[in-house]
Amino acid sequence: MFELLGIPPQALFGQLLLGLINGSFYAILSLGLAVIFGLLNIINFTHGAQYMLGAFVAWFLLQYLGIGYWWALIIAPIAVGITGVILERLMISKLYHLDHLYGLLLTFGIALVIQGLLRNEFGISGLPYSIPPQLAGGQNLGFMFLPNYRGWVVVASLVVCLATWFVIEKTRLGAYLRAATENPTLVGAFGINVPRLVTLTYGFGVALAAFAGVLAAPIYSVNPNMGAELIIVVFAVVVIGGMGSILGAIITGFGLGIIEGLTRVFYPEGSSVVIFVIMAIVLLIKPAGLFGRAA
Amino acid sequence: MADALAQQRPAAAAASPLLKVADLEGWYGESHVLHGINFDVREGEVVTLLGRNGAGKTTTLKAIMGILAKRRGSITFDGKELIKLPARAIARLGVGYVPEERGIFASLSVDENLMLPPQVKPGGLSVDEIFQLFPNLRERRTSQGTKLSGGEQQMLSIGRILRTGAKMILLDEPTEGLAPVIVQQIGETLAKLKREGFTIVLVEQNFRFAASVADRHYVVEQGKVVDMILNEDLDASTEKLHAYLGV
Amino acid sequence: MRKTVLLLGGLAASLMATSALAQDINIKMGVLNDRSGIYADLAGEGSVIAAQMAVEDFDAAGKGINVEILSADHQNKPDVASNIARQWVDDEGVNVILDVPTSSTALAVNEVTRNANALMLNSTGGTSELTGSACSPHTAHWTYDTWALAHGTGSAMVEQGFDKWFFLTADYAFGHALEQDTAAVVEAAGGEVVGTVRHPFPGQDFSSFLLQAQSSGAQVIGLANAGGDTVNAIKQAAEFGIVQQGQSLAGLLIFLTDVHALGLEAAQGLVLTEAFYWDLNDETREWSARFEELDGDKPTMVQAGVYSAVLHYLKAVEATGSTDADEVIAKMKEMPTEDPIFGEGYLREDGRKIHDMYLFRVKSPEESEGPWDYYEVLATIPAERAFRPLEEGNCPLVE
Repeated sequence: MFELLGIPPQALFGQLLLGLINGSFYAILSLGLAVIFGLLNIINFTHGAQYMLGAFVAWFLLQYLGIGYWWALIIAPIAVGITGVILERLMISKLYHLDHLYGLLLTFGIALVIQGLLRNEFGISGLPYSIPPQLAGGQNLGFMFLPNYRGWVVVASLVVCLATWFVIEKTRLGAYLRAATENPTLVGAFGINVPRLVTLTYGFGVALAAFAGVLAAPIYSVNPNMGAELIIVVFAVVVIGGMGSILGAIITGFGLGIIEGLTRVFYPEGSSVVIFVIMAIVLLIKPAGLFGRAA
Repeated sequence: MADALAQQRPAAAAASPLLKVADLEGWYGESHVLHGINFDVREGEVVTLLGRNGAGKTTTLKAIMGILAKRRGSITFDGKELIKLPARAIARLGVGYVPEERGIFASLSVDENLMLPPQVKPGGLSVDEIFQLFPNLRERRTSQGTKLSGGEQQMLSIGRILRTGAKMILLDEPTEGLAPVIVQQIGETLAKLKREGFTIVLVEQNFRFAASVADRHYVVEQGKVVDMILNEDLDASTEKLHAYLGV
Repeated sequence: MRKTVLLLGGLAASLMATSALAQDINIKMGVLNDRSGIYADLAGEGSVIAAQMAVEDFDAAGKGINVEILSADHQNKPDVASNIARQWVDDEGVNVILDVPTSSTALAVNEVTRNANALMLNSTGGTSELTGSACSPHTAHWTYDTWALAHGTGSAMVEQGFDKWFFLTADYAFGHALEQDTAAVVEAAGGEVVGTVRHPFPGQDFSSFLLQAQSSGAQVIGLANAGGDTVNAIKQAAEFGIVQQGQSLAGLLIFLTDVHALGLEAAQGLVLTEAFYWDLNDETREWSARFEELDGDKPTMVQAGVYSAVLHYLKAVEATGSTDADEVIAKMKEMPTEDPIFGEGYLREDGRKIHDMYLFRVKSPEESEGPWDYYEVLATIPAERAFRPLEEGNCPLVE
């Protein structure tokens, strides 16, 4: 058996693939954050809680209405997206004329409230959610056993990320969005309802988080803290990619997942901090982020 | 194109003005900038606002457009009161805005910039007609908006408003920083638009340019309209005007 | 000297049994456990049902013993638990507190009953501290403890020939302790630890750690974690086909209800230690069938343990004719235990209830013949080896 730098290829490819799977979640979540930050200038700290809500809605649908995974994948993002719309209208929109910091504090507070309420109700040990039968089992790739569901996660998130990128970069609606990101006042003076665009964009970003939550439900147990743990890493991903950069968020998400996987092979102890180390370096060298436009 | 433009020709000079601004006051935050602007514009007219830097000309346009958040007084357009309306509703009534800094979006291509403002009234120019007006733009459709030259950006900024069907255009310093040959081209375009029946409110520092296109000139000083000069009286009023503008 | 007096007292009490019957004895029992959270299925209402069954099977009413059973939800919070316990003991005259899941709440209630005229018969709490340095004259630890689970699984598996271990350990004190205890047992039994990986606590994604375990060449992956971490690790191991590819998972703190929640598809092949299983013999099957009729689910070992504890307590009350905590516990330790749950056994002087433990392997969906047919017995761990030796516990009650 040949080895790469003393590492058997099984371990290397296996961890790379796992990194790609983790990267899928980073990518969808940081994409949602980037979309929201771009237009709203709000650092949406509720994002992790909204990801968690997506998983919970999927669980509720199954538990109380008997609605399975595939419908949940559509219904949960819409439902959580609507709560996002309400949240934006009732609370976040009141802060646009203030400093970023206020939006951050508000969304952080809301996240704590949502997590606290669900923790009270469901505890922290997690609720089970099964892999849909169509995706049970796995493929023996030779170097590792790839569960079908994990393969699906990579494919689904790639599709969602690329579709989002396409809508934003290549359609009329996306042009409104980009233009409003640059100069909302002028876009309003053209007769476009910018506040509604902002609300829907927030709802969409939230729906992306919820979509990731449903994807995560069968892999991780559905528990109130699942988002709080992930979101810190995702924020680092967004900072590295460049706040507000759509393509940057996607590429950095997948890329950092892979780098994290590599770190697990070569220096396992560093795997939980490697993203933050990269973040620190990027901030020092290119503060706007790898794909960010300098302000 | 001539046919399409012809449809916009007004039947006759309307009895009441298309735009009437009365006792307009405006603020930037706490600072009181407009102290009672009064003027009116008839349908099909080209009117300029002249004045020194900081007199309140651009602010007046922003107030009409609804971009200035804090304003008071009365602005009627086509018989409707605008003072309480948000910018997007004013745009929907058929007021087009070409901002001073041209407002070309860096993240949009030329095409996307052109297609951005939604059509608010029937009878706007088609994309083809706009490219006939500004042939340079056609070759650069896929370029990034801000990669265009200043003159091209200005053309794009005007062109995209012509698409929307707006019948009145607020034009803020279209010649600023442009080469004389471009200024001349823009002047020709405005003359053409005037012939086709567009109503234009022009803010301009370039007095000569203003004289070449406008019907009337309002002089703005310290947030007030202090004088009105007909274009045909311009030669006779040169001295007075130089005093106003400090040239 | 004192022992003699007690013996005499006991003798006198049994001689006077008939006269004791003449005046009724009133007993209040409080089932204090988790009725809404993560241990509600494991213990919860089922423990109350088990206590009631014991009272009825003992025919307490017929013997002049009136038993009232209270229950309360301690939400797995030590402060809530000790408040309820104090109120029960001080204001309501509760004689015995039953069940008390989670180590921290068990230790809290342990301190309440220590100086009160009340006993705690703990079935669901895990910590072996209860009969170690924190042992109390008023506490009996009935069903299992962490020592028994870790040692049972560790040594029994090595004896079965599974001697190469890899530990997946939660990176905090509890996980480290569980790993070290088990590793020591594995090595003492002649096994070998080929690798260890510490995962963040609580963990979400165990896949990369499982992949490491997979390539380590170990026969057994020991899960030195608890609760959601264990459940997640097992789920993900199933996803990655770890068991299908020949390795075994050993759960060091996992129960029948976890297996039930995971489902056999995910849990198959898991090896674990428990004190009771409904399908062990005719007696357990008969008792469990009666329980299932009342509760709807098969009993867990801790619910069965509540039954066993109440039964033995009532026997001691009958024998002494007293509700005095000291007298009753002395009698409980003196009399051997016998019931359909654990068979024969005894209550040791440090409060540890001694009986056989079992090493189980979770069946595959194909092997399972019906609902709740989850376990296959791999080995019986005899009572004398199932629990921590008396002298190793450092219990101050043991001189």
